Formats: sequence, C-alpha cells, structure tokens
Amino acid sequence: MHKKTIRDRSLDLFIYLFLLLMGVVTLLPIATVLSKAVSDESAVISGKVGIFPVGFQLQTMKYVISSSQFITSIGISILVMIVGTVLAIALTALTAYPLSKRYLPGISFIMLLFVFTMLFNGGIIPNYLLMKELHLINSLWSLILPALISVFNMLVIKSYYESLPESLEESAKIDGASNFTILFRIVIPLSGPVLATIALFYAVYYWNDYFNPMLYINDAGLKPLQLYLRDIVMDADSSSALNKSADDMMNASPEGVRSATVIASIIPMLLVYPYLQKHFVKGVLIGSVKG
Amino acid sequence: MAMNYKKWMMATLAGGLFVTSLVACSSNGTPSITPASNPSAEDSKATTEPKSELKTLQIWQKDDYNTYPVAQYLEQKTGYKVQYDMLPQDKPEDKLNILIASGEPYDAITIFGSTDFKALYSDYAQKGALIELGPLIDKFGPNIKAVIDPEALEAAKVDGKLYAIPTKSISNVNTSLYIRQDWLEKVNMKSPTTLDELTAVLKAFKEKDPGGNGDKNIPLTVKGEAAFIDNIAGAFGIPNFWNDVNGKMTPRILDPAYIEYVNYVSDLFKQGLLDKEYAANKDATAKEKFTSGKAGMILLNWSDVPTIADALTKNIPTAKASYISALKGKDGKAGLAAFRGFDRLTFIPKASKHPEDAMKWINAKLEKETFLNMTIGEENKHYTLKDGTYTPIQPIFSDERNAANNFLTGSDDTNYPIYWQARVRKDMRLFEAWEFMNKKEPANTKVEDPLGFAPYLPEFSKSFQQLNTMVGDYTMKLVFGAEQLSGLDAFIAKFKSEGGEASYNEVNDWYATAKK
Repeated sequence: MHKKTIRDRSLDLFIYLFLLLMGVVTLLPIATVLSKAVSDESAVISGKVGIFPVGFQLQTMKYVISSSQFITSIGISILVMIVGTVLAIALTALTAYPLSKRYLPGISFIMLLFVFTMLFNGGIIPNYLLMKELHLINSLWSLILPALISVFNMLVIKSYYESLPESLEESAKIDGASNFTILFRIVIPLSGPVLATIALFYAVYYWNDYFNPMLYINDAGLKPLQLYLRDIVMDADSSSALNKSADDMMNASPEGVRSATVIASIIPMLLVYPYLQKHFVKGVLIGSVKG
Repeated sequence: MAMNYKKWMMATLAGGLFVTSLVACSSNGTPSITPASNPSAEDSKATTEPKSELKTLQIWQKDDYNTYPVAQYLEQKTGYKVQYDMLPQDKPEDKLNILIASGEPYDAITIFGSTDFKALYSDYAQKGALIELGPLIDKFGPNIKAVIDPEALEAAKVDGKLYAIPTKSISNVNTSLYIRQDWLEKVNMKSPTTLDELTAVLKAFKEKDPGGNGDKNIPLTVKGEAAFIDNIAGAFGIPNFWNDVNGKMTPRILDPAYIEYVNYVSDLFKQGLLDKEYAANKDATAKEKFTSGKAGMILLNWSDVPTIADALTKNIPTAKASYISALKGKDGKAGLAAFRGFDRLTFIPKASKHPEDAMKWINAKLEKETFLNMTIGEENKHYTLKDGTYTPIQPIFSDERNAANNFLTGSDDTNYPIYWQARVRKDMRLFEAWEFMNKKEPANTKVEDPLGFAPYLPEFSKSFQQLNTMVGDYTMKLVFGAEQLSGLDAFIAKFKSEGGEASYNEVNDWYATAKK
C-alpha cells in the first residue's frame, strides 16, 4: 500500500465535502415538505417554515394517516405492486429463457414480434377500448396486466441467460436433467441478482404508475396512491381555481395537509428501498463482471 | 427433440393456467380492500320493488362519494342505489372525453359549468352523444320544471334543445380588498371609500410605518394572477371581463376606461404603494406577506378569511383586519364582480341504460324535503332554524354535509341560496366576510358577469382563456413600465386579430338579441 500524500488527502476531503453538500442539497426539498407536514398551519401560511418545523405538531400527520381514502389507496398500491411484481418477474423470466436458445426454430421471428411492440403500439384510445371489451375497467387487473412483460426488461434477462456458459447446461443434460430441472435448478438460481434488479424495476414501475389508473380506474375505492396524491396536491392549485365554486374554495385542503400526505406516501418506499438497493447494486455489478 | 417440444407446450399451458387461476383468485380477493359498501341499504323498508341501479360520474372530491352520508340518505329517500364514480382532479376533460368516446354506460354525468366545460357539453350534444332531456322532463320531471330557474334551463340549451340539467351558481361576490384595521387606527384614518382616499391611506401606510417594518412596509400586495385588481377595477367601471359600454358588450382592453385604470395602478406602483413583486407573487406569497405583518392590504377571497385571520393573529396578536367597501371612482362608479352562470351541468349520455330512471332520480332529489336534507341535513341534528336563518350544528354538519354541494344535480333556485348560507355560517368570520360583500354593500355594487348565461359561443369559448392571459400580461407590463400606453393601438390590433374581433362580434350578436 502506498502512503497518501497531503495533496491526496486534501483532495479526498474536498471530494467528501462536495458529495456531502450535494447530498444535503438533494435532501432540502424533502426536508421542507417534511417540516411543513409537522408545523403549525398558520406558520406554514405566513411562510415561516423553511428546513426546520415551526410550532411542531403531529395532528396533521395523524389526520392524514387515519383518513380512510389514504389507507385504501396505500393498500391498493401495495397489492398491485406485490401481485404485479411477482407475476411480471415470473412471466418475464419464463419468456426470456426460450428466447435465449438460438437453436429453436423460428426464434428470430418470435423475437421480432416482441421487439415490434417496443416500437409500435395501439395508443391510448385503442388500449382503453381493449380494456373495456375485456371488462377490466375499474378492475385492478387493468393496472397489472398491461405491464406484465416489459420487452426491455425481458431482453436484459435474456442476454444474461445467454452469458451463462453453455457447457453448464450441456453437462446437466448429460447427467439426465430435463429442461425444467435445468431452468429451475441451474439457470434461475444463477440469475438471482439480475432477477432481483428487474423485480425492483417492476416494483418501482407499479408503485409509481399514474397513467394507467388515471385511465382505467373510476371507482374511488380502487384508486392507488399516486392517483390519490395527485388529486390532493392539485386541490389547492390556483390554476384550477377558475372552475371552483365558493364551496370548493371553502373545502380545499390546506398546504400542511398536502405536505403530510406526500410524506406519508413515501414512507412505505423508504422502508423497502434500503433492503432492495443492496441487491440492486450487486445485480448490476455481477452482471457486468461476468458478462 | 419431439419429447422436448411436448414439454415446452406443457410449460406454456401451465404458465397460462397459472395466470388465469390467479386472475380468478384475485378478482374474488380484491373486494376485501375496497371499503364495505353502505350497510343501510338492506334495511330500506320503503322500497316496494327493486329499482335499477344507477351509475353516475361526478366531479372529483376528497371523500369517496359512495360512503359519504349524503349518498346513504339519498338511497333511502329515492330508492335508487347509485354507484358514484369520479373524474380525476387533474385534467378531468381528457378522461371525460375518453369515457364519452368509448360509450361508457353512465346514467348521469355531472361536470363543471365553466366556459371550457360548457364547450365540451355543447360539443357532445351536437355530436349526438347525449340524450335530449325535454321529453323526459315532461314525463318524469315535474320538480325540475317547478324549482329550476327557467332562465338557467333556457341558457343550457344547445341549438334550441335541452341536453343538461343546470345547477345554477349562487351569485356571490368573492374577492375584494382586505385591510389591516389596526394600521388604519395607527395612522388615524378611516377605511377608504374612494380611489383618492385609497391612495392617501396607502401613502400613510408607507410613510408612517404603522407596521413597524421600517422601509419594508408593503402598503398593498396582490397576487400576480390578478392583473385587474378587483374593487379598484370596479371603480373604473370594468369589474368583469366584459362590461356593457353604451349598449355593447366590451372586453376590458377595448373599454375606454382601460387607460384610466392602467394609469391609476401604474401610478400606485411608481409611488411604491403597490407590492414591488406584484407580477411575481403567487397566491401563497401574497398571503405570506400579509399574514407575517409586512403588508397593509391584500386582495383576498372571503373563503380564505378564517385561515388568514388565524395566521395573522398568531403572528401579531393585536392585528385586526376587515374588508373595505366598494371604492368609488371619479364619476361615482363602483362595482364588485359577482359570479353568474352554471356551477354544474348534469347530462345523460346516449350510452345510458336507464335514462328514465336517471331522470326520475334527478327529479326525486329536487323534492322539497329531500333537497333540503341532502344539502344541509336534518333540522336539530345538522342545523337549527330560527327566523328563517339556518345555522349549522358542528361538527356533524361539516362531517356529513360539507361535500353535499357535489351531490347537486340541479337545485331549487329560490330556496337554495338561503339554505346555502348555513354552509357559510359554519365559521362566523367566514359568514361576516361573505355578508359584508354580498349583503351589507349597496345592491348596485354587485355586478354580475353579463356573459354568465350566454349560450355556447364557439369563437368566444375558443379564445377566452388565451385572450385573457394576453391582456393580463400586457396590463402587467404597462403597470411596470415595460410597455407604454403609446403602443396600445398596436396591441389592440393584435388582440383583434387573435380572436378578439370574432369574439366581439359573436358576443354582441347574441347580446343584441338577449337585451330584447
């Protein structure tokens, strides 16, 4: 090991300080929203709340978390995320496997069909009509099914499969393993990291999805969190004030409530992310080294 | 190899089964998360025969319509079980277009009554997406005929036929100037009643420093969206977007009073009496300046009074504030803009499966007692009635009737304005603020939007928003001195070419016939 010179050290120090500063800067907006959520409403209105709360209180948070619409929405979001991710990862992994076998007849044509959907699709209205004819409007399946296989994610898994040494499968075949045994006992266990990464992609997609529920869900009892949030945050937006009657103005949610809703809605993701991120980083790294 | 293919086929089949079985499982599983639907439905004894279930689409609100107490009451009273869906808060027009285009079988759809939604409604009606309501009303709508203002019904017609039940807006003055009373006392002045007095008061606010902010006092703060300051604009005879000038409907920019207004306001600005950051102010920034005690006056909506007053007294315990009356201009002109028009429009799309039931349901909601209970609740439970005044009982009134206005599909236009006051009386400060502008001020200061009940005017609707923004920006620049009045003619030419001329002609063609 070579010794660090003073110049190296001071450079290190500078880099650390700079990164720390950047980190703090990205946290600032969240900090403001957080302190608005736990501050006294009149302090929020008079613009006194910056990074730190003024007149600390938890009433607003309590009010938001106990609101039945909020609980329903978060439940819907979690359900869609779990069911969607599990199904999506299973189907994507199963689709990618045969496509990674170049020797299967007609495989390049089938591949073409998949890639075609990456470039062209029906558009909003045809999709809507499709969902309607399938009787999926106002059903949570309308949020899950359209995104089950993302061709891009499928290609990532497929190229990972392709990077596994062929001799591994050959030797298993010689030992008498069937195609299923090979897939489930050799290929899938070896693909853990890439599957975890793609699962995270899917989970984040399902969690953040706003557009599909906006189109397909009309029943307030089935609205996922993103839709609920958008409605709440828009509520006091003055750009829509033209449409508002005196009654709507009287009932608009105060800024504190909106901030508290935003904070409450990121809590589940905050809890899950540290655990997933470990896999996330590992998955990308291992893939690149081996590939 | 053949063996392998068989296996792959099996795998695909198994995969397919896997997905379908999950679909089946979860479609049973999902309802556990949706809120339990209203239990009161079962013990409705009055209903003799099962009535068809109606599906309606409503405007967004915070609470779920289906579990809201008003929904339960209406189900009991009308006997119709109704499923309420709602449009999103963000871009409801887009979603509405998709739903109408795809023929979603809603039995009643309620939308806003503002210009842009009125245009959508006319468009649907002309394209044949809606059911003509006239014959249905004749058969099933005696209450609709009896209680809804005929003028509103007339104005909701498209090409002479009625396709929607209008809910009339309660005509309110909403915005005026709110002043710090304690500052007035400190500078020993009375609340201003004319433009000259206003200037004098603002000057005193700036020079005598009643707020103790030194040279940081802001005599008057206004949000940037309000290019025309209500109340001040009224003193120049231009309270609304369009006003009658010698028998012609005239937009503000073409009004001869426009120049005087701009001169007055830019003079305030030059003297430092109007917030320096006027154009950049958001609604929230203006309120911050006022509630933190930096500003002496603010342009404020009465619905904001309780929150603003709370925040103000928390920061400055001795602070007192109230509205000023309508200011008089040089020839005694004064006016506060009052909203006039539709609050809601309710229509029945062609895709509806039960149009007759939908009409019966709308009619039943206008039954006198049902309507009263739907909007403000039950006597001595939700409100008390004394000398013709409805006073809410809190907190049950707010809990169970706060969102009642969203259930309106047409209103009893004679009585609703009276019932409605109960909603304002839930906070006395709110009520006083509303009462001051709407009841205590002389009646002639309340100037209703003359275009409120105009029929759908395509040219006007198309360019209304855009022209308003254009004129607003230009006016702001004049106030700041970034543009000079010498360029007004050039701007007017531009205004006319970008739809102003066409709107003007269209509006006045209608106005000429309407005046008769």
